Amino acid sequence: MNAFVQPGFWIFVLLMAGIYCIFALGLQVQYGLGGILNFGHVAMMALSSYTMAILVITYNWNLYLACFAGVVMAGLGGAFLGLTTLRLRGDYFSIVSIAFSEIVRYIIHNSDHLTGGAQGSLNIPSTRGFASYTDQFNKVLINIQGKIKPIFGSFASRDMALLLIVWLSAIILLICMSFIQRTSWARVLRATREDDDVPASLGKNVFLFRLSAVILGSVVGGIAGIYWALEFSILDPADFQTIVTFFAWMVIILGGATRVKGVPLGALFFGFLYAGTRFFQFPPFTWFDSVQRAYLRIMIIGFVLIFLMLKRPQGIFGKRAEMVLE
Amino acid sequence: MAEFVQLLFNGLVTGSILAMAAVGVSLVYGVLRLVNFAAGDFMTLGAFIAVFLSISKGLPLIFSVIVAILGICLLGLALDWLLWKRLRDNKAGTLALFLVATGVALILRQSILMIFSSGSRKFAINETATFGFLGAQIATSQLIVLLLATSAIITLGLFMAKSTIGKDMRAFSDNASLAAVSGINVNKVVRYVWIINGILSALAGIFQGMVQGRFDSTMGWTLLLPIFAAVVLGTIGDAYGALLGGMTLGLVMEMSTWHIFFGGIPSSYKPVVAFATLGIVLLVKPEGLLGVKARSI
Repeated sequence: MNAFVQPGFWIFVLLMAGIYCIFALGLQVQYGLGGILNFGHVAMMALSSYTMAILVITYNWNLYLACFAGVVMAGLGGAFLGLTTLRLRGDYFSIVSIAFSEIVRYIIHNSDHLTGGAQGSLNIPSTRGFASYTDQFNKVLINIQGKIKPIFGSFASRDMALLLIVWLSAIILLICMSFIQRTSWARVLRATREDDDVPASLGKNVFLFRLSAVILGSVVGGIAGIYWALEFSILDPADFQTIVTFFAWMVIILGGATRVKGVPLGALFFGFLYAGTRFFQFPPFTWFDSVQRAYLRIMIIGFVLIFLMLKRPQGIFGKRAEMVLE
Repeated sequence: MAEFVQLLFNGLVTGSILAMAAVGVSLVYGVLRLVNFAAGDFMTLGAFIAVFLSISKGLPLIFSVIVAILGICLLGLALDWLLWKRLRDNKAGTLALFLVATGVALILRQSILMIFSSGSRKFAINETATFGFLGAQIATSQLIVLLLATSAIITLGLFMAKSTIGKDMRAFSDNASLAAVSGINVNKVVRYVWIINGILSALAGIFQGMVQGRFDSTMGWTLLLPIFAAVVLGTIGDAYGALLGGMTLGLVMEMSTWHIFFGGIPSSYKPVVAFATLGIVLLVKPEGLLGVKARSI
């Protein structure tokens, strides 16, 4: 049967959209409020997932404690990035943030004895002789699978159980973020988007506000990394390339750059665009073989990105006036 | 001593290639305020065109290189007409420029894979031919690349300093609106920027391909971050700074593998070394090596 019509495939697409939604929410906090152009966001996902995997596999930590430590590590990564580079001008910061994420990836790729190196998390040194970090979580998922069986019937797969957890977290985070948008902290941050001098003249430490936005965003990005790790059960340094950060930017732009509520819509749209194009069985896609089609999918992402920025910089669901005003 | 000479030479070769590419990126930024994320892929495409014509089609190498340069110049001009001009007219912000440039980079890289198919390429040069110099083994091909890259950079420096269009470009980087008001032809400056960038990127790509021996479609992207580091190190938008930044980084990256530094940093960490250098310089001197502190009013 064609995978295009298999429910399992669409559950996977929705699940990935949920993870991208959380990941992009972290970026949205930084850009939507502080106007910070962070292009190294994927590093937070790499830091949290690898920290979690190493603590569980090598040090036999409890999974939940390790997840928490992973998210803390992502926050620390954000703090390090912010402390060292946030004082730089906007375009410098963006370039250095890419460099940060690539350095994290290089180090993970080359530290065989800690992270498993190029072979990924399967190669993380383990005392039990078996490098898996999902055992404890799989039991939970099986438990949930049993509970949702009456509702979803044969669709109650591992992915379905995780899908529910991911989207529940996404919604909770979304509510938190909408709430944060109304705080005075967010108002000061919005003011720093326009100009450093006005908030500074009111006695606000602009740097600290920006730093806290980067840390908060990094923590949220770290949560996405944990779910990423739990979904795939294996980590590979190649999963955390810079392109993933651009996927998150695309989610934000699709959803309407300044709108928190647009992020899930953007994530769903992106999920279907990215995964769905794999199964387009009509010309011009049938002119290419499967390898070429993989190239074509990335090209489509590129074209959509360019088209959006030229024609609708406010995104599909955004309002142009908001971008100009804010 | 032999190791030092070897690394110094390697550093100069890497540095001259980085500097060429960095000057292109810096020029584009100085005049157009565009951080060209596609710069690495311009390089890769140049190398692929040259290798395709000279190896697969059996054309003379020099002819293939000229066609590659023309191709990258045309690509730059076409993209400006298609995208950058419109974005300038729309007064697009940094984010829009960044994302469009990334989109271009993605499309270029995937096009290279699609047209030339994956797998690595190699120029028909003998990179194993070496001669001894102060105990070091110097590859003849690398020496030729170093000489050619240096002369390209000197030519560009003279062009920027002496020619009218070079002066126009520098005026434009310093203050775009003042330059436009004083009657400098904006479109002409922009065209020249893309042509110079095309020449530099294509040559840098081809040289890197030759020095590396085998290369694939990710060559340019891997180099993009050290190039950016060189640009930022030498103050973004400053062509001479980019030159200095490129040479500095090339030397630092190669020298870091010398055994007297903690037994030599593994060569796979070279990009990390490039950025650590950038980080340290930015912490001490945030305006870059040649930069002047912005005066506050």
